[in-house]
Parts: sequence; C-alpha cells; structure tokens
Amino acid sequence: MHKLFEFIRSIYVVVLFVLLEVLAVSYYARSTSYTRARLLARSNHVVGGVHGVLAGVRRYFVLGRENRDLLERVAELTERLARYEEAETAAAFDERLAEIGESRLRVMNAAVIANTVNRAQNLIVLNRGRRDGVTDGMAVLSPSGAMVGYVADCTDRYAVAISVLNTSFRASGKLADSEYFGSIYWDGSDPHAVTMGELSKYAEPQPGQQVVTTGFSLYFPEGVTIGEVESAELNETRTAYTVRVRLAAHISQLSDVLLVENRDLYEIQDLLGSEKIQ
Amino acid sequence: MYRLVPYLLLFVSTALLQLFLFDNLSISVYLNPLIYIAFVLLLPLDAPHVALLGAGLATGLVMDCAMGAAGLNTIATLPVAFLRPWIVGLAYNRDDAREGGIPSPERLGPWRFVNYLLLGVLLHHLIFFSLETLSLSHAWRLVLRIAASGVVSTAFVWLIARIFTAKFPVRV
Repeated sequence: MHKLFEFIRSIYVVVLFVLLEVLAVSYYARSTSYTRARLLARSNHVVGGVHGVLAGVRRYFVLGRENRDLLERVAELTERLARYEEAETAAAFDERLAEIGESRLRVMNAAVIANTVNRAQNLIVLNRGRRDGVTDGMAVLSPSGAMVGYVADCTDRYAVAISVLNTSFRASGKLADSEYFGSIYWDGSDPHAVTMGELSKYAEPQPGQQVVTTGFSLYFPEGVTIGEVESAELNETRTAYTVRVRLAAHISQLSDVLLVENRDLYEIQDLLGSEKIQ
Repeated sequence: MYRLVPYLLLFVSTALLQLFLFDNLSISVYLNPLIYIAFVLLLPLDAPHVALLGAGLATGLVMDCAMGAAGLNTIATLPVAFLRPWIVGLAYNRDDAREGGIPSPERLGPWRFVNYLLLGVLLHHLIFFSLETLSLSHAWRLVLRIAASGVVSTAFVWLIARIFTAKFPVRV
C-alpha cells in the first residue's frame, strides 16, 4: 500500500512536470516577436524605472562621443541647408515649404533604456510611449539616421522596438544609386552585420557600396542608410547575390534614437486590409 | 520553511542580477550567461520534488515576464528543476543527498560540486539556446554559444553559491 502511495506520488510530479512543460512549449510555439515585445512592454511597468536609472548612468560615459556625432550631424545639415539657400532665395524656399504643409514624416527623439545584442530575438526598450505620441510601426533610427528597428508595441510611458538584430526582423533594402533591391534580415551571429538576400545577379554589388532602405517597407522612409556592402557571393543556383552588409548603426552602443512616424501608415494599412483586396 | 527568508533573498538577488547586470552586458552573441538558474540548483538537497518543480516554475515565469521571452525560460528551467534529484545523483551518492543540506563544495566536495553545477547549467543552456535558435543550420555556432555561456554561467553560479553558503554552517 505504501509502495502504491509512493508510486502515485512520484507519478503526480511527473504528470505535473509534463503538463507545465507542454503548456510552456505551446505558449512559446504560438508566440511571435510581437507577443514578446508586448510582454516586455507590460513588464516595463515594474522594471522600466530601474532600467531607466541604469541607462542614465551609462549615458554619462558616452556623452563625449554622442556630442561629437551630433555636431557632425549639425555640420552636415547646415551644409545641406546652405546649398538649398544658395539655389533659391530664402523667400521662395519658405513659400515652397508652406505649400508642402505638414510633412508625411514626423520625427521625435527617445532614449534607449534597455537593449540586448546577444540573443536571437533582440528587443530595444525606449523611454517614450503613447502619451509622448509614439505609435506602433514607427521607424527607429540612430542619431545619425541609420536603420535600427521599428516599434512593435508601446504602453503609456514605454515603447518596445524590434531591433534589426532580431531574427524575425525584415526590411527591404537596395544598393544606393541603383534600383536593385533585396530583403534585409539578420542571421543571428554578428551584431555588426546583416544579410541582404535575393539581390539580382545583375546588381554587381561592390564592397563599400552604400545600402539604403527602399520605399516598399511601410515602416521605413525611403533612403535611410542601412550600412555598406562588406562582401557578396552568388547563391548556388547563380541567380541572386547574398550580400553581407556592415551596419551603419552601432546597435550595442545606442543610447539615443530618432523615432520616425509615417503619417500615411495607418491609411495604407487600412487600404491593405480592405475587403475589396481580400 | 526554516530557510525561507535566505532563499527568497537568493531568488530576488539572482533575478535582479540577471535582469540588470547580465542582460545589459551584451559582450558577444556567444556570451549570454543565464545565472538565475542558481536559485534552482542551490535549493536544499532534501527539498521535496514538487517544491523543486514549483521553484523552477516561479523562476521561469518571472524571468519570462521580465525578459519578454514568452515561455523560453520556463521551458528551460522546468526540466532542470524536475531532473535535479537525478543530476545530484549523478554527481553525488543519492542516499547521502537525502540527509539534506545546501549543495556546496563542503557538502559535495569541490569537484563534484562543480560537476553538479556544470551539468545543471549545461542542461538549462542546451534547452534555452536550442529553442531560441530553432535551427540546425549553424550547429557549431549553437554549440559554441551553449559551451561559452554555460562555462561562464557555471563560474558565476559557483560564486553565488560561495556567497550564499558562506552565511550558513556546512550541515544546515
């Protein structure tokens, strides 16, 4: 009798273990990058504050470098502005700007409070949320304007972005100065490089050539720098290149980012979801 | 129940260390130490099987929510908690284990203790990284990740164990 009791007791732990493991596996199997981003966004109610304080401390150590980068960017933009102003008189320029009215893109800044590069599915937590005007699908760019990721979910005070270093991240990229494009994804190994697949065999990518986003992706504006070609090889069937692209953004050293909203995104998504199309 | 407070402290401190230190290090893709497994590995040797499972579940769930990992930590931690009596048995005589005590170098012997930690950590990391990658296309890379992260985690778990057991007489 005692043995039987012991047997049932040991079996009940086994059953419990199998049950819990099956539950966990099925939840994991059904989860997507979005589920994970949502989970992280929710848990930031609790741990977001501490992450924020730690990020604040880390920020002090990169202030110098950041300042230099910003100054470089200011210099570049001033130069570009000067060129425009030379081309037309300031008055004509203002008039034309007024004609354009509200730009299609809305830009804001945010600080990174948590970021990883050593997982297969890396996510970035930002200190701005819905109440600051962050919406799902905003592009995340580095301070110098290079591609970093896009916002997958946000709460009132925090946003979670899917990093370009996430094996579920997909974007569309092309060689600058040409119309050949391919799909950008990360293979999970090197945090400084991504892969551009299915690039036409006629593209002839050269090392050092710039890779930028196309306008096909809903999240990223056209022409955002992704990085530069490091190496390229034809695939086995010799129909397309697989290109290794060195990222322009140093994801592991990010402390501030730009968020860019495509004001037309919701309209386009509505249209794509319309009944006439499906 | 008599060691509830120290174990609660261990649980909280390993979780905090993992979240705010090790998850923020981002040294390399190959180095992702998951030291929170220390809590399950350092539970008393005579802890009831179901209590081990409960502790594993709690650890996994808390880490999943905090890391945004959707079940991955739970999947990896539960088997370690469930198989712990056998892992102890492999590194140590199971009859002696029934006498209880906290796993420590004094209790198990320095090398057996390291072997025990290494077995537990590697089992955990094997499940964690295999499921995270979910592909065998870069098998050598996966093996390197498990090995490098596993060895570093074991070293840190060993350190945590030393600090944790330093407060107790050996046989408690």
